[in-house]
Order: sequence, then structure tokens, then C-alpha cells
Amino acid sequence: MESPLHHFEVHNIIPIHIGGLDLSINNAVVAMWVGLAIVAGSFMLVVSRGVSPIPGKLQSILEIVLEFIRNLVFEFIGEEEGKKYVPFIATLFLFILACNLIGLVPGSYTITSQVVVTGAFACGIFIMTLVIGFSKHGLGFFCILVPPGVPKIMIPLMVPIEIVSMLARPISLAVRLFANMTAGHTILAVLFGLAMTSPLWVSWMPFGFTIIINGLEIAIAFIQAYIFTTLTCVYIGDVVKLH
Amino acid sequence: MSKNNGLRQGMQIAFRLGTELTVATLIGALLGHGLDRFFGTRPWGLAVGIIVGGAAGCLNVYRAAMLLDMEDDDDNNS
Repeated sequence: MESPLHHFEVHNIIPIHIGGLDLSINNAVVAMWVGLAIVAGSFMLVVSRGVSPIPGKLQSILEIVLEFIRNLVFEFIGEEEGKKYVPFIATLFLFILACNLIGLVPGSYTITSQVVVTGAFACGIFIMTLVIGFSKHGLGFFCILVPPGVPKIMIPLMVPIEIVSMLARPISLAVRLFANMTAGHTILAVLFGLAMTSPLWVSWMPFGFTIIINGLEIAIAFIQAYIFTTLTCVYIGDVVKLH
Repeated sequence: MSKNNGLRQGMQIAFRLGTELTVATLIGALLGHGLDRFFGTRPWGLAVGIIVGGAAGCLNVYRAAMLLDMEDDDDNNS
């Protein structure tokens, strides 16, 4: 029987080595390209057909999604400030959602189950919030480390706590997405392994569970993409508003 | 189905809050350990780091829970 973690392995498809760098095209990269192609392709399809006042099926789906994300951004960042972040947040949401959903197709690769990928997203967002904060508030940004209404005597205690809590944010963001996807897919693989190896009179049970959990995984793909983008909005909003 | 939905949401919330607490405590411990190595003050940095990290974790959990509360209110109002 195959190991249940087998489908997380990365295989090189086209090996490319430049200098000491391994830039090979592997199955993870291909899965990412497919995600990009789906997101960009669906929007290009709508735009190339001409955006009509009476939307077609695809156009209305995309409009609903974009409106939903815009409301999310406006709620957490504010209407004036939020406008410039809508494209970034929308891209983030759609790309993570596409990658999560692609992972559910049997035989494909779940790119978000790699902590490298989610960590890169989270680090990028963390650095982005720092840049936004410093460019917006200058050195006044440091007062994010002191929550409002804290008595002066508590400040030496609160500053390290706030620093740790700030540093923990990107890591918990990355770990949450990665752990959810990995756990779900491992459960699927274990159950399917049971269904394949057990005799027929019991194998219907794990097989049924596989189907149920697959449905659950679709929901989790949406929820995790939503949580990731919501928290990104919250972090950017915190930095923009400074309390 | 709606009951199942509630359970799933509950699991999601538990997982979300759980990671906040764990990650913050680990970060605090790592920072403390790093400071220990740098200044050679073993084991005080680690001990203080874990406590500070735990406090930061509680703060993060509190903030996340307040956010959930806000979402809940929105659901009830709409």
C-alpha cells in the first residue's frame, strides 16, 4: 500500500539547474500554473467577450465574488483606504481558492499543503504590512506596539508581548492554511487506502466516508481561503488605522 | 445538515484559536532561547519568553474571538 503522504511528494518533470540553483519544473509548479491559468483565464474570457450590462453566467459569478471581496475589504480597512487593496486581496483570495480546489481533483497536487508556499504568502503579507505602516505613519508606527488605554507602568511589559504577538501573526496565518489542507488530504488518503485494501464487505464504509469528507474538503477549501483573506484584511486594517 | 454545519464551524473556530495560542507561545519561546544564546543568560530568557509568548497568545486569541463575535452579530442582524 502507498503511504498516505505519498501525494505530497514533489517530482521533477523538467529538471533545470542554473548554477547551484534548482529551478526545475515540478508537479507543484504545474499545479500553481493551472491555478493561475484558471483565475486569469476566467477573467480574460469575460473581458474579451465584452462586459455586458446584463451579465452572463460566468460574469455574474465573478461579479458576485469581487463584490463580496470588496465589501470584506471595506469592512476591515475602510472605504477610502481600502480601495487600493481590493485588487491584491481579490487576487490572493481567488488564487488560494483555485489552488485549494485544484488539490481536490484526484491525481493533482495541493500547492497550499506546502508550508513553503503558505509561508511565502504570509511573509510577503507581513513585510507588506510593515512597509505600509512605516510609509504611512513614519516612526509613529511604533505606537502600534502600545495598545490604547494601557497604564504607563505596564508599557515595558506590553511592548515585548505585542512584538511576539505581531511576529506570531504571519506564522499562524501560514500554519493554519498549510495544516488544514495537509490534514484533510491525509485523512482522504488514509480512508481511501483503507477502502482499497479491505475486503469488499467492509470497504464500502471507508469509501463512503471518503466521499463525505471530500464534500467537507470543498467547504474547507472555501473557508480557509476566506479566513486567510479576512485575516490579511484585518492585519492591513490594523496597520492603516493604528488602533 | 445544519447541525453538521455548526459542528464544522465550531471545529474551524477551535482550530483557529488553537493555532493562535500555540504559535505565539512557540515564537516567544524561540525568541527567549535566541536571546539566551546571544547573551548567555540560560535559562532565564527561555522562561520569560514562554511567559511573554503565552501572554501574547492569549491576546491574539482574545482579538480573534472579538472578531468572531463581530461576525456573529453581523449574521444575526442581517
